[in-house]
Amino acid sequence: MSEVGLDRPGTPGTPDAAEGSGAPEGGRGAEVFGDGSGKSSVSGEGCGDIEATGGSKATGGPEVPGASGASRDSEVSGEAAVSGGSDAPGGAEASGEPEVSGDSGVSGEPKTSGASEEPRAVEPDDVDPHTIDASEHADPYAPSAPTPRAPEISTGGKPTVPGPARRSAADPVKALMHRHRELCARAVDPLEIAAGLEAHGVTDRTAVRFRHRDVFSLAEEMYARVPRDGEAPPPPTTEQTSGARADWALLTLLPGALCVATVTGIRLTDGQSRLVAALVGFLAVSLAVRAALSRGPLGTSDRAPTTGTSTWTYWLLAYATLGDGLLAAAVTGGPDALPTGAADAAWPMTTAPLLALTLSCAPAAWSAHLFAARARRKLAVSRGLEDFAASVRPLLLGTFALYLCALTALSALSGAAVAEPAALPQVIALGALLFLARLLTVHGFTHAPGAVLTAAATAQATALAAVFASRLPGCGFLAAPVDALVDLWGASGIQTLSCGLGALALLIHGARKLTRASAHARAEDSC
Amino acid sequence: MDNRPSRHRLVRIPSSRCEPPSQRRLLIREIGGALVRIGLLTEGGYPYVSGDARLWCDRLVRGLEQHEFDIYALSRSEHQEDEGWVHLPPQVGRVITAPLWTAEDDGVVYGRRARRRFAEWYGALASALCEGAVGDASGESSAAEADRFASALYGLAELARDEGGLVGALRSETAVRALERACRAPGARQTARAARVPELLTVAGHLERALRPLSLDWYEDDGLGAVDLCHATSGGPAALPGLLAHHFCGVPLLVTEYGVRLRTHYLADTESPPAVRTLLTAFHGRLATETYRRAAVVTPGNTHARRWQERCGADREKLRTVYPGMDATRFTEVGESAECVDPDTLVWVGRVEPAKDLISLLHAFAEVRKEEPKTRLRIVGAPTGAEGAAYLGHCKALAAQLFPDEAEGLHAVGDNPVRFEEIGGPEVPTLADAYASGAVTVLSSVVEGFPITLVEAMFCGRATVSTDVGAVVEVIGGTGLVVPPRNPKALAEACVTLLRDPERRERLGAAARARALELFTVEQNITAFHGIYLEIVSHTPVRRVVLDGTGEPLPFAAPAEAHVPGRWTEHRTEHGTRLAARGGPGWAAGPPVSATPPFAAPEGATG
Repeated sequence: MSEVGLDRPGTPGTPDAAEGSGAPEGGRGAEVFGDGSGKSSVSGEGCGDIEATGGSKATGGPEVPGASGASRDSEVSGEAAVSGGSDAPGGAEASGEPEVSGDSGVSGEPKTSGASEEPRAVEPDDVDPHTIDASEHADPYAPSAPTPRAPEISTGGKPTVPGPARRSAADPVKALMHRHRELCARAVDPLEIAAGLEAHGVTDRTAVRFRHRDVFSLAEEMYARVPRDGEAPPPPTTEQTSGARADWALLTLLPGALCVATVTGIRLTDGQSRLVAALVGFLAVSLAVRAALSRGPLGTSDRAPTTGTSTWTYWLLAYATLGDGLLAAAVTGGPDALPTGAADAAWPMTTAPLLALTLSCAPAAWSAHLFAARARRKLAVSRGLEDFAASVRPLLLGTFALYLCALTALSALSGAAVAEPAALPQVIALGALLFLARLLTVHGFTHAPGAVLTAAATAQATALAAVFASRLPGCGFLAAPVDALVDLWGASGIQTLSCGLGALALLIHGARKLTRASAHARAEDSC
Repeated sequence: MDNRPSRHRLVRIPSSRCEPPSQRRLLIREIGGALVRIGLLTEGGYPYVSGDARLWCDRLVRGLEQHEFDIYALSRSEHQEDEGWVHLPPQVGRVITAPLWTAEDDGVVYGRRARRRFAEWYGALASALCEGAVGDASGESSAAEADRFASALYGLAELARDEGGLVGALRSETAVRALERACRAPGARQTARAARVPELLTVAGHLERALRPLSLDWYEDDGLGAVDLCHATSGGPAALPGLLAHHFCGVPLLVTEYGVRLRTHYLADTESPPAVRTLLTAFHGRLATETYRRAAVVTPGNTHARRWQERCGADREKLRTVYPGMDATRFTEVGESAECVDPDTLVWVGRVEPAKDLISLLHAFAEVRKEEPKTRLRIVGAPTGAEGAAYLGHCKALAAQLFPDEAEGLHAVGDNPVRFEEIGGPEVPTLADAYASGAVTVLSSVVEGFPITLVEAMFCGRATVSTDVGAVVEVIGGTGLVVPPRNPKALAEACVTLLRDPERRERLGAAARARALELFTVEQNITAFHGIYLEIVSHTPVRRVVLDGTGEPLPFAAPAEAHVPGRWTEHRTEHGTRLAARGGPGWAAGPPVSATPPFAAPEGATG
């Protein structure tokens, strides 16, 4: 019967479809029967089918294939029924026969009497524990294979079937749900159960045994019956991968070490060789910084366009080394000579800030790492975006403060080491600016850091230019604000002010941007 | 009726296409034939060497050389792009590719108004995902949901077309925030309500990936707007450009699905948290629904796919099952030859894996041997993967255990009645030989999609016994025996029946071959698509209004001759030479003719 229906699945353009009347219904033959108010009609249909097709086999079957679509259909049902029924007379075979011909509950009556099936009916006993299918799919539908139980339930008559099979038969869907309990538990909608059931070999014809017209409605029942007590599973603990930590940890130490070596070299040498040492040192340190920033918590995963940023960074560092001396000299009428690299020359060079900043690469990386890791952990446990933002803001400030503490200590240390006056405010302002800019860049915000760095560098350049421009006749007023500032805070005031304001702006910006969940999503993706 | 001679003077109207009388010939092609420009949409598919279903697409494109194909391909990975394309036939006009695995942020930062527009549409999309389930197909509420989803999708697409920058916006905090708001809104589903921040981020990331086709520049008049119809070779991401082309340019969409994309998604994504799966399956389900709603015709590959499509809201009138075509020529020799090599041999062919349930087959064979002791079984196939290899070893051990080696006499060397072989070995050099070596082909799977081995056996004209799984019943029709899965006894009984009845075997085999030739050949596949193309183009022609310089519509800008088959605007000389080479004018090229007339049953039919 089902073969008849499925024989012509509405293929357009094929003769079958042209001749098959009532295309959509025909395709659903099996289900229509299944729907028809329970099993009695089904088995009636089935028996009739067998009878009829037996006849058609006897008469019209053989000459079929060459004939037209109509007789093809008869061949179809003929063969289908015959597949089991050619030896039909035998009582033992009778039980096998209806199953062969599409077992859609047809087998009800014959099988209850069929002695050969009885041993099979006991099988549910060993299926009952339901452990079988966990290892393999062998025979998971055994309890439903002896279908006769289903019709009996619908009529209310139970006693026909012997005891052992009763338990699973009472509620075949429950047994099925137990077998697929994982699928049912995790399903988010009925279609997921349907897909899973089909992957385990459940077809519409199997579903008919559970008194459903198709797998979809069976899945709907299963989905509806899954107990949902509303408790959410505990969020999976994200384990920290500490695999590639060693490389960036070592790399962040490299710039500081090279800078120490360079400063030592500059101190020990003189004249021409000092210039060479300074150049070589500059190259080595800049390469080391580049390497340190290429991976680890300070590395950007994608090649973001940061050329402008790095240019301005170089300017800021150069100003930290030479700028204050130049400004001080310029205000007083100098400079009279190029910097010699000595701290007590007419254009003095301060190496302590550079030393402190390169040394602070390591604490910066660790702070950034701490921030990222903690933020990710908070991400995993927070329920809402507002929660997350509220919990990340103190974290950001904490890590920022941590870095500043480390930088202060390093700066004091390096000042003592090179025997220069520790220029703490400038170094801290510049360090804060660079750290925040990098942190924002790493989390995908490149626009604001670039703008702020540019602004800071421009301010410094403007101050220098104003001082020199004021020497032109009639332009003396240009230097007035710079002079006032220098009088107020000393020559380093310009740097402190520009970097400090920049850092403040970035901190405010970062407190808004870095507390967004989407800023930390990308870091997670790249991992 | 007025039979008097006409009073009008006979006026000879010069044809615009005057050919020399020698070349002039009658119009023999069917009425309605036309040149169709098809935009073939693939995802991780056709032109790439490692693409899915590239064989089918290749046959389709080569089989319909009277049409023009523009291929719009989405690649799935960098590796796939590096592997290159297959050789393309000349009817492929152009190939335009775009990556799905990466997206460049074009750096556009939205202004206030664009941001508000984005937040509005994205919020609508998110709330359409959070409310209601996909499964309940009918009802006004779900129709309203589908409408909301559709309008949000097209709203985002229009935004991407007007402003660009959608990639960045989809990754932004605005998107995550809109998603959160939708999840927390009253009426959202329980599982969606439980979404935490990481889940929201995952969903936003997936949506960004899934909506990448929205940012493509394909939907212009010189892109997908220029084709007559879009043919999406699968659902999901491949159909999304088709949907947008339909929305922007009114191009009709044809969707072919051999495996339902939504179902694949359900089976693939089982590990994510429930909230993520809820939202993502809702997205894929709604996308499928929208695809089926907008498509002019949907062609499932079998009834199983058809059921899923109906379930997801596809209109029955749009559904045409087009079976996958297979190359039948390999099996012609075996199929046409009447004699059978060994009347006592059962053959199983396929990839060895647990889903094929060879254990059950071996048990069934033991039953068969009780009835027919001379029977032998050949299992032809290679294992797939480590699991398959282990399973094959298990089966071999079981076979050795069940069936001791046996010899003809005391002095002969015996062998096992069950033999495991692989294609290409000395015994079975080709696939056709494998089928030819047995009288009955057995299929014992417990899970099966579209049973290719069964179709091959049908091509070979073999009687078959198969289990009732997947599309087996649909494929075999009445031309073979079908037994329930996991029932060795029934399987054995059916085998014995056929082994004892050579006449019936022959009859069934002949019928099977006839059926397979009718339904499962490449030719039927191509013919079906040819017909569907013409039907779509005739029912839903794309009306293009071309404006001239002053903004006035230009009459006759797209003349009817644009659809005249054959490239009539080409140079006459070139045309002529090509015509000569092909032995007929281009416009007379008919549709592909079926290799075998229907119901031309072989001689076995009367037996």
